[in-house]
Amino acid sequence: MTDHASQASPARENNPTSPPSPRLLRAFCAMLLDAWREFLDAKILLLLVGLIGLLFAVALTGRIEPQPAGKNYLDLSARAMAADLEGVDLSQESVASMAGRLNGSVVWIAKAEPLGADLPTGQWNVELKRSFVPLVAGPLAAEEVQARFGRIADGQLWRVSKAEETSDALGRTVGMQSFQLTVAPGADLRLLWPHQFSLFGDSLDLTPPRGAPLGLEVLILQKLLTTGLGGSLLLLVSVVVTAAFVPNMIRKGTLELLLVRPLPRWVLLVMKYVGALVFVTVLLGLLVLAGWLITGILAGIWSPGILLALPSLILFFALLLAVSVCVGVLTRSAVAAMLVTVTYWAVLFIAGQMHNQVVESRLREENVGKLRPTSVVDSLRGAKPRREEPLKAGRVPFYRTAVGRVADGIYTVLPHTEDLDNLVDRQLMRDLAVSGPFRALVERAEFSWSQAVGLSLLHTLAFLAVACAIFSRRDP
Amino acid sequence: MNSHAQPTPAVAVKGLEKRYGSLQALSGVSLEVEPGTLFGLLGQNGAGKTTLIKILLGLVAPTGGRASLLGQPVGGLAARREVGYLPEDHRLPDYHTAPSLLDFYGALQGLTRRERQARIPPLLEMLGLKGREKLRIRGYSKGMKQRLGLAQALLHRPRVLFLDEPTDGIDPVGRKEIRDVLLEEQRSGVTVFINSHLLGEVEQLCDRVAIMRRGHLLVSGTVAELTHIKPSWLVGFDSSPADLCWEACQLEPARPGLWRVHLDSPGPDGLDRFLAEAQSRGLRLRHLEAERATLEDLYLALATHDRQAP
Ligand SMILES: Nc1ncnc2c1ncn2[C@@H]1O[C@H](COP(=O)(O)OP(=O)(O)OP(=O)(O)O)[C@@H](O)[C@H]1O
Ligand SMILES: [Mg+2]
Repeated sequence: MTDHASQASPARENNPTSPPSPRLLRAFCAMLLDAWREFLDAKILLLLVGLIGLLFAVALTGRIEPQPAGKNYLDLSARAMAADLEGVDLSQESVASMAGRLNGSVVWIAKAEPLGADLPTGQWNVELKRSFVPLVAGPLAAEEVQARFGRIADGQLWRVSKAEETSDALGRTVGMQSFQLTVAPGADLRLLWPHQFSLFGDSLDLTPPRGAPLGLEVLILQKLLTTGLGGSLLLLVSVVVTAAFVPNMIRKGTLELLLVRPLPRWVLLVMKYVGALVFVTVLLGLLVLAGWLITGILAGIWSPGILLALPSLILFFALLLAVSVCVGVLTRSAVAAMLVTVTYWAVLFIAGQMHNQVVESRLREENVGKLRPTSVVDSLRGAKPRREEPLKAGRVPFYRTAVGRVADGIYTVLPHTEDLDNLVDRQLMRDLAVSGPFRALVERAEFSWSQAVGLSLLHTLAFLAVACAIFSRRDP
Repeated sequence: MNSHAQPTPAVAVKGLEKRYGSLQALSGVSLEVEPGTLFGLLGQNGAGKTTLIKILLGLVAPTGGRASLLGQPVGGLAARREVGYLPEDHRLPDYHTAPSLLDFYGALQGLTRRERQARIPPLLEMLGLKGREKLRIRGYSKGMKQRLGLAQALLHRPRVLFLDEPTDGIDPVGRKEIRDVLLEEQRSGVTVFINSHLLGEVEQLCDRVAIMRRGHLLVSGTVAELTHIKPSWLVGFDSSPADLCWEACQLEPARPGLWRVHLDSPGPDGLDRFLAEAQSRGLRLRHLEAERATLEDLYLALATHDRQAP
């Protein structure tokens, strides 16, 4: 104490002259550190880390094994060479229309021999037969077969490395062609190839007997770990922990100590908000990274689409946190902040699901008479593709019912967080060659990043602005 | 009271009003505190002391009147950089340790890392918190929290300190230490503004004192001024002065051999007249002592009688 005068009070002299931006930065860093301490102080965080650790540990015991399936995939490719036979009701069609629909040709695999093992990496020697009606269709050149064989709607199954026609001129005239092909795996073969997924070594088999496409398994695993169960758990615990932040900060006796600092009140509040957000962002980043690594390690699929889950989760949490801060400032109660935020989350979720139903019902109506989207899984299971049926007489599509309209109305005024999820799904499905009705839904143009991100940010800012306005006005 | 007017008082308040709904917490308070003063504000519970401090810190908006701190209007960021505040019933965030909390507040206050690192350990030592650096605040006793609260107020070397009941919950030795700390601050030019109920302590410590009741400032001045409003003296003579009396002076026995003289006219003249009178009667002075009322006497008188400010 005696050296008080000699220390020449650094604060008193330097402070007014130092420029404001490093001072703000310093305050921000301090707030960040404070938020981190408060975050770590919550014991529930350990529980969360434990739970997520367990989830990932379980996932890491998984084994993904390819099933023999090469012959099926060659057949599928051959069928796709002709026009689609799918959804054709033979009793309804005349021979001429049939011929037209079939492009006048049928293609099949006469013989297929693996050059190695029957794995998604193996090459095959294939004898391909094509029969066509001479007047309706013409012969096909070997180059064309080479270009077209292996392409299906879901992606590129096979790449033909060598193709040569073995039929003679006579065969070509009467409509019988045969080709000798050497095929190698195409870009998407591995993703579409059926694999068996089991946990704890082999003891818990999670796939149907003939397996499921690897891409689909990876999609489900990635979603489960990040935007699904793992992310929801993490967000839920984060909501619970951060709900106490603002009420603790503005508690009588604590608030005064903060408000006397030379910073505007709204800056203090926004700094606290950003501090909390930064740490949840770090946790979410670790989660998504771990999800990406695990599916990479287990399946060898390193497509980066899953990393989009991170901005989507961050935006969603930023919104929830803004709601929580707003309620916290209003009520000064952590429980109220938590309950309202979780309720808001539930409302967003339900409204999002309803909106998906609305979009789907519109999609169905537009597509009446067209083939329903099918996936390679369905084809492999032998499912016959069906056409979209019109609704039974007297039934109204969901989007035109009262419930559907109300749901859609509610959805328009809410931030479109479900869209964020759909957009991540879209990217994942594209990366992992997953198709089917849900793919058709999320491919709709009405889901756009700019709209989903813009609306979420707008709502977040609105909640924050309200919180700041109240916080700045009120006497402590 | 403001006899030697300074260009910028540390605290200047004029006609300050604060209304909470229908409750008038402050009604027309005017006050000036010169820089470097140890100022004590007294008053019963609910008198408006805390409200006054909160207005000066810009925490609460007044509903009328003017208040300035170091010549700047209250509530501005520049003014806040210069003040330290110890709230009553403060609750320090209990997930911190003492050094981490001081580091946090120091950074918010604008101290650089180096300044904080240089300042915090000696401050903790000065307030008797050394050796407990690892302990979370939730493990602190009441007095330890109070000391830490004081540490955060002193941390950035403010020019004005507002302390709302600073020795609340602190043991007598600790109080002495804290008094010494405050005196040291005052010596280095800091203005210290204390709210307290501990009259003895305020009397010992403060240069100037003001007393509030129900939102009004009743009296304000130096301790000596306030307690000399009606002076009395203890006198002793070599024989009884029992018949020494006239209308401007009453005499009563106080202790064996000592009489208490109440003089109607304060100031030296009354006493001189009294002593001249005694001498003329052949009494020889053996004991003379100014007997002042304690602050407690004044306080109780003000609290119990409906007396207006002089
Ligand atoms: N936020 C508030 N809302 C409503 N009334 C308030 C508020 N703060 C203080 N008051 C009222 O203002 C009056 C003055 O309160 P204040 O806290 O200034 O008293 P005080 O002199 O500090 O008392 P104490 O010695 O008990 O600390 C009290 O009647 C109190 O009820
Ligand atoms: Mg008080």
